[in-house]
Amino acid sequence: MSVAEALSGEPEAAGYARAEGPQPFSFPRDHGAHPDYRHEWWYVTGNLEGDDGRHFGFQVTFFRFALAPEPLQRTSAWATRQLWMAHFTVTDTAGETFHHFQRFARGALGLAGAEADPARVWLEDWALSGAPGAGLDRLHAEAEAQGVGIDLELSAAKPIVRQGDRGYSRKGEAPGNASYYYSVPRLTAEGRITLPDGEHAVEGSAWIDREWGTSALGEDQSGWDWFSVQLDDGRELMFYHLRQADGGTDPRSEGAWIDASGEKRRLSSDEVELEVLERWTSPDGEATYPARWRLRYPAEGLELELEPTLADQELRGGFRYWEGAIRGEGTVQGSPVRAVGYAELTGYAE
Amino acid sequence: MMLRRASLRYHLRQPWQAALAVLGVALGVAVVVAVQLANTSAERAFQRSAEALQGEATHRVSAGTAGLDEALYTELRRAGIRPCAPVVAGYVNAPGGDPLRLLGVDPWAELGVRDAVASAALEVDAGRWLSRGGMAVLFKPEAERLGLGAGDLLPVEAGGRRHELEVAAVADPPDELTAEGLRNTVVVDLATAQAVLGRLGRLDRIDLVIPDGEAGAAVLEQVKARLPEGAVLKEAGEGAAALDEMTAAFRLNLTAFSLLALLVGALLIYNAVSFSVVQRRPLLGRLRALGVARGQLFRGIVAEGVLLGTLGTLAGLPLGFALADLLLDLVTRTISDLYFVLSVRSVTPAPGVLAMAAALGVLVSGVASAGPAWEAATVSPRTALERASLEAKARRLAGPLGIAGLALGGLGAALLWGYGGGIVAGFAGIFALLVGAALIVPWAVRQLAVALARPAGALVGTPGRMAARGVASGLSRSGVAAVALVVAVTAVIGVSVMIDSFRTSLTTWLDSTLSADIYVRAPAQTGETPPPLPEGLAAELAAVPGVTGVGTSRRLRAPSEYGEIRLRAFDHGPEGDAGIVYKDRTAQAWADYRAGEAVYITEPFAAHHGLAVGDTVAFRTPEGERRMPVAAVVRDYATSQGAVYVSRTFYAESWGDGVINGVAVYAEPGADLEALIGALRQAAQGQGQALQFRSDAEIRARSLAVFDRTFAVTRVLQLLAAIVAAAGVFGALLALALERTGEVAVLRALGLTPWQVWGLELSRTGLLGLMAGVLAVPPGLLLAAALTGVINERAFGWSLQLSVDPALLAKAVALAAVAALVAGLYPAYRAARVAPAEAMREDG
Repeated sequence: MSVAEALSGEPEAAGYARAEGPQPFSFPRDHGAHPDYRHEWWYVTGNLEGDDGRHFGFQVTFFRFALAPEPLQRTSAWATRQLWMAHFTVTDTAGETFHHFQRFARGALGLAGAEADPARVWLEDWALSGAPGAGLDRLHAEAEAQGVGIDLELSAAKPIVRQGDRGYSRKGEAPGNASYYYSVPRLTAEGRITLPDGEHAVEGSAWIDREWGTSALGEDQSGWDWFSVQLDDGRELMFYHLRQADGGTDPRSEGAWIDASGEKRRLSSDEVELEVLERWTSPDGEATYPARWRLRYPAEGLELELEPTLADQELRGGFRYWEGAIRGEGTVQGSPVRAVGYAELTGYAE
Repeated sequence: MMLRRASLRYHLRQPWQAALAVLGVALGVAVVVAVQLANTSAERAFQRSAEALQGEATHRVSAGTAGLDEALYTELRRAGIRPCAPVVAGYVNAPGGDPLRLLGVDPWAELGVRDAVASAALEVDAGRWLSRGGMAVLFKPEAERLGLGAGDLLPVEAGGRRHELEVAAVADPPDELTAEGLRNTVVVDLATAQAVLGRLGRLDRIDLVIPDGEAGAAVLEQVKARLPEGAVLKEAGEGAAALDEMTAAFRLNLTAFSLLALLVGALLIYNAVSFSVVQRRPLLGRLRALGVARGQLFRGIVAEGVLLGTLGTLAGLPLGFALADLLLDLVTRTISDLYFVLSVRSVTPAPGVLAMAAALGVLVSGVASAGPAWEAATVSPRTALERASLEAKARRLAGPLGIAGLALGGLGAALLWGYGGGIVAGFAGIFALLVGAALIVPWAVRQLAVALARPAGALVGTPGRMAARGVASGLSRSGVAAVALVVAVTAVIGVSVMIDSFRTSLTTWLDSTLSADIYVRAPAQTGETPPPLPEGLAAELAAVPGVTGVGTSRRLRAPSEYGEIRLRAFDHGPEGDAGIVYKDRTAQAWADYRAGEAVYITEPFAAHHGLAVGDTVAFRTPEGERRMPVAAVVRDYATSQGAVYVSRTFYAESWGDGVINGVAVYAEPGADLEALIGALRQAAQGQGQALQFRSDAEIRARSLAVFDRTFAVTRVLQLLAAIVAAAGVFGALLALALERTGEVAVLRALGLTPWQVWGLELSRTGLLGLMAGVLAVPPGLLLAAALTGVINERAFGWSLQLSVDPALLAKAVALAAVAALVAGLYPAYRAARVAPAEAMREDG
């Protein structure tokens, strides 16, 4: 099974639970896994700076895929219907190196899994773990592979934001072609990054996305461009464009504008304008991605030019996509503003 | 040039001798090649499979048969120790009883450990692989052999239960190593393997890839710190090396037998070359008189021998290849019967083996012809012209040769029975013994023949006396034939008596050990621990009417201070230790053993580890290390690796599980066992596990059948050596007949009818054969004693009771006489056809 398959809305989705309409989240329960939905992820990205101002990006994502709609009736503890995948990346902007790692584990024997309280999701020794009763407010993120590691304390600086319609995020035409989606749009991050050249004390900001559903993309959708942007005036912008096979943008694409107090405004697809200024082709020529954008959000008078901190932040594993740190400069209501963020570009590889 | 022409002309006139020499070497070389090829092919198949299974792993964690708690894997993974891969593996039977290795893995964990296995398993949709049971991947060669494709069902049987696997994908092996090493292998998910092999909750091992150096050492420490009691960490190659070592003694035995065949072949070369020298003595004398140097003559004759040897070697190599196919089957079957499941499908051509055998064939021919060549070169031109001088010389030499033979035999005996030595020293001793015996033969034949002349004369008149005298007087030729025959018959006697003694010891042991009437277990492959029996089965069987009691057994491999050892935990039935054959024990051995305060070790175990009663053995049990005194050494021919017997009490204390692998049922005296087996089957039904119910007689018969299969290969080699020897006798007699054409002509002229000549010649050959047979008895018995008492003990740790069946000896002697008679038929026929006048003219 490819990951793209798992995320698409093909007919094998029969029998799984589906996101069919808004329903109130229940925390901390919803921080844990939703095993009856086909896919789910815990997604942490962030931009960090060392003492010396050196920039790093990081991503730790835990994906859960249900492989069968019903619990299995089998004797061995190794039999499972849950497969977990985790991606861990560190962008060393100054060192012009993108470290990325992928792991799989079955959701059995405690090799990988998620718990609600204390919030915890892990795949072997990669983990995101919270404190009892603290939800996602305080988290410890750790991951290490081949001499590259992160060890970060994350503290929520904003409350949880329910994306879409009260957390119900429509992705396609069919009813169920949707997911439940919430975010923590800003966390302060502090800790260490280990690179082959040594350890760096770092601090910065992070973003958490939680999403689960059964079929995300419709037949006619080819991929998405997703952005999380944290402005230095304390506000955030999240938006995604669902790209259609014919090159257009699906009208269900949307976003969120979060003000300094954490209030969210839902954005429709035409409220954010995105213009691609440059493109980048991966070294083996397999995929060409947008690589610089001009972003306009007229309602707030925001105009930003966004660019990757490093061109090559492509994950070339079983599931090929570009996910990397971005930075931006521009103006908001005429005043200069800077931004950091993450972009996820999928569906560009053949 | 002149020499070479003379040589060629001679051999064209005497094609028989040359052909026999070539045949002898060809057979000898063929046997060596076949044995070595069979050995290397078996070893290579084993190595390949070990390598492919080991993959990149440098270390492995295991805990014997009990296996590891699967939670250990999670612990290691969560500690960040990787690559590390869990394995549950065992054998299952495909339809038709074909054993297949079921390799249960986690495909993602295999990455970096066994990439070939990982990519094969990852060809299957992860959803099907993980969530559905029974998904299997075959590599292409195996799929083709089984005639299966993707989507086909593959029913297998394991431990008496049937399971249905589905071929989810057929993978192309990425390289030769995988193709060869993973033949017979079915890759399944760990969950499937656990269910099929009845290993729920357990892992057979965890393979680790740990770098060299400091970083690796730190990881090793981390692993060690997490090992539960009873688990051991070792280098990945160790297990394979141990298995390889296990069969090393067996393979060495075969090599020794193949060299015996070559030795007999060498005697044929010697025979042919020395005959040619005898025949050409006048010519050689003239050549010497004409001024040909000794060295020239020597080299010429040796070159002749080497040429014959080379021809024989060239013929022997392809013959060996063909023979290897037959032997490989026997060798593989024996290893599978005795040690572990081994699958070898074809002989692997090994250039090294062929080169070695070729060199050996040529070298041995050179050495064998050096003696006659030396003789040809050293006779003075004058004496060379005298025909009687050779016989005189042979007579003169017989005594000193006999003394040298005695000395060599003594050396052999010292190597065998003197100070302890390895198995190689043992075989060296055996060869010294054989060659020594061979050297004594000419002298002994002469003495015997002279001694027999009078009684033979008394018995059948002049022809009898003449036959006996003829043997004695033709010593220079008949001596070699006799030697070849004696060596072959010695081998026949030695090996037969050894096998017979072994069989008798085994039978005696089986008779005393099989004290119960019916034995119950689940089916299992050789070398594999039988799967656990359902809980409560023993009690259910005990309750069957007609059953007077039950005993249970648990077989497992468990870690100890001597590595992984075979452990047998017995709950002895109502008859106590009646079934145990003690070799040595303390006074209160049984009481201590039963109370769980001492253990018994088997003979091979004692031999391999240098242990005796009073020593101790430390076990690494889940309850920690337990050091136990050895209260007895017991006879046990079940495994040459040796085993440790512990009482059920000790097992329960230290391993803490109630698992049993076998139940021994004791029946009322005179019970109808067939009917009782029926009743027991009835009682065991509903367990869903196919069980084997075998009477003591059946087990006995099966054990002996395995035994006979084991020695089939030895018997084949022995037969081949005998064939080479018979060819030698034929050649020698033919030479003798030719040599004596003149003598026969005189006899015919004196009035003997062709029939009388025929009779005379046959009695002479029969007598020669009979004497060779009789002469072979003492060295044959010595050889038997060496094989049973020394080689077996050094190679396998078993002491066997030497038992000599007189009928067997009589058969061997008769065999020698008959072989000689058969071989003498044609030479005698030729002699009888001699036309007196013509032959006498030629002689003049």
